[in-house]
Amino acid sequence: MVVLLAVVVIGGLVWLVRLYRGGTRTDRARTDGAGPGLPGRPLGGKRVAPALMSQGRIDVRGLTKEYRGVRAVDDLSFTVEPGRVTGFLGPNGAGKTTTLRMLLDLVEPTAGTATIGGVRYADLDQPIRRVGAVLEAGAAHKDRTGRDHLRIVCQSAGIPLARADEVLGLVGLGAAANRTFRGYSLGMRQRLGVAAALVGDPQVLILDEPANGLDPEGIRWMRDLLRTLAAQGRTVLVSSHLLGEMAQLADDLVIVAAGRLAAQGTVASVIGSMTWQSRTLVRAPELEKLAAVLGGDAVVTPSGDGDAYITGADAVAIGDAALRAGVVIHQLVTQLPDLEAAFLELTAGKAAIR
Amino acid sequence: MTALLDSAALDQAGDTGTTLARLLRAEFMKLRTTSAGWLFLIGFIMFTALALTLNGFGNHSLLYPQQGLVSPAQALAQAAHARSPAGVAVMAASMMTSGQQFGVLFALLLGVVVVTSEFANQTAAVTFVTVPRRTTVIWAKVAAAACCGALFWLVGTVIAAVATPPFLYSQHVSASLAGWTVARSVTLNLLAFVAWGVFGLGLGAVLRSQMASVVAALVVYAGSFGTMVVFNALYNLFHQGWMLGAPVIGPAVASEVMITSGPAFPYAPPGWVGGVILIGYTVALVAGGVVLTRRRDVI
Repeated sequence: MVVLLAVVVIGGLVWLVRLYRGGTRTDRARTDGAGPGLPGRPLGGKRVAPALMSQGRIDVRGLTKEYRGVRAVDDLSFTVEPGRVTGFLGPNGAGKTTTLRMLLDLVEPTAGTATIGGVRYADLDQPIRRVGAVLEAGAAHKDRTGRDHLRIVCQSAGIPLARADEVLGLVGLGAAANRTFRGYSLGMRQRLGVAAALVGDPQVLILDEPANGLDPEGIRWMRDLLRTLAAQGRTVLVSSHLLGEMAQLADDLVIVAAGRLAAQGTVASVIGSMTWQSRTLVRAPELEKLAAVLGGDAVVTPSGDGDAYITGADAVAIGDAALRAGVVIHQLVTQLPDLEAAFLELTAGKAAIR
Repeated sequence: MTALLDSAALDQAGDTGTTLARLLRAEFMKLRTTSAGWLFLIGFIMFTALALTLNGFGNHSLLYPQQGLVSPAQALAQAAHARSPAGVAVMAASMMTSGQQFGVLFALLLGVVVVTSEFANQTAAVTFVTVPRRTTVIWAKVAAAACCGALFWLVGTVIAAVATPPFLYSQHVSASLAGWTVARSVTLNLLAFVAWGVFGLGLGAVLRSQMASVVAALVVYAGSFGTMVVFNALYNLFHQGWMLGAPVIGPAVASEVMITSGPAFPYAPPGWVGGVILIGYTVALVAGGVVLTRRRDVI
């Protein structure tokens, strides 16, 4: 009976081993002669069929998440369109990560819906083939190689394991494929996260702070990659704290503060929505005297460090008035609104709420 | 969908079986590609070898009681009992399940690691984004933990099966390893290893924290034997007969009761009671783990 039992257990284990090996063997056979995938090939400019465009639209409606009575996300609604890079901005604790996790069914909303192509993430057929996500740079087992990490993702999703090498090559980690995650720099970890997101060749990409820890070359690489992916018709939603980088990268912006929508639109429209369109920074020892001689439309606002911002009068008018009044001017700088200024104005007073 | 990034691999993707089968393969891959699983297996092999050696010395002293420790008459009676067909069968069964009592700890802790390493290494989000069917993910882990338990059992049993016949021969006794007593112990030992592996998985799924789960597993296991002390003390106070068998509510005691030929301790309930209690705990933990995994946010 012991022998019989041992035979049954050994048989079972052999079956499991064959089950496991079967997958890899088939994958090897499938890729024979197919090469490593994308060596040196730039991302192509293929366009997505119009039918796929609607499948790539992200729609957030009335999304709310409460944690013990605190609203991390509060009745948030916005839309992210395919073929564009949408920057998702907000101060620390604004609810960006919670929103992205609700979109990916990792966090259950208290109210509202988040859909991709009109379907909840959990209800998508083969979700990894539709949506790729970069959530955390440290999201891999420290003792596992980059290749094995991706092969496990492939295995779980029913994608041939050879795809792991393709995406490793795509993100420039081919040479580090067999190094353990422990030995990866932060930039390499970000690249591995992007590789995992691209495994299923998804129509939609959701990236939470993907540029954190990247060096200038890495940031440029990430920008080029995301722009190319959007140019192919994919939906790219990317959260970031790097406003200068976002100004270069994004087509559209969604700005949240204290869990609520602060602004949405193209980068130009968000910047254009500011209360001032041009201002002049003035450094002068007698600001009160200068303010008195300026015309009626000019508004002088102290900057807080002894200088002042003046709107309603340009640098030429201010200089002429100062000359007439005999006021000494030490500095006169014309400032145009930029994303940082718009972001700070839109989120003013809300950054420290939590 | 047309591959937007040209891919030979994706172009040739085919049917790879059910989600559960794919996830089970992925779980084996996770175990194979980190050192923890291998270290547990090596540790278990070393522990089994040590347990076999110690068990061999113990059985030798039963067969050949040392003069001076017991009276000559007692020594004769003890040796005669040990050499009887029933005594030799029990001895063979104990050899074949050497180290079982603590060997199952390896299955228990590996079961804990199978699920908690996902949270310790922040890979849970990757796993659940890849396959958002959380119940299926947990079932795959249950199957993987059960397989690990069965593998430990197989390795331990093979080592014991290699070592036991030469030992019995060297002691000038013989017993069939295919006899009922041995077969029963070995079979129930398999059940114990599988149950403890799944028990650990369920515990880890409920607690999520690797450190807390490992400590809880060890406390539950070691603490189970504390029930013997507690209920003996209660019996001495209240003299209720059921209190003598009550320690079986401890999972590790239940496991002992299940696999031991004859009473595991005086007034122990029948073996099936131990089996039902151990499996009951395991099912309850897995059910709790599934419910909590479905409801919890992955942050």
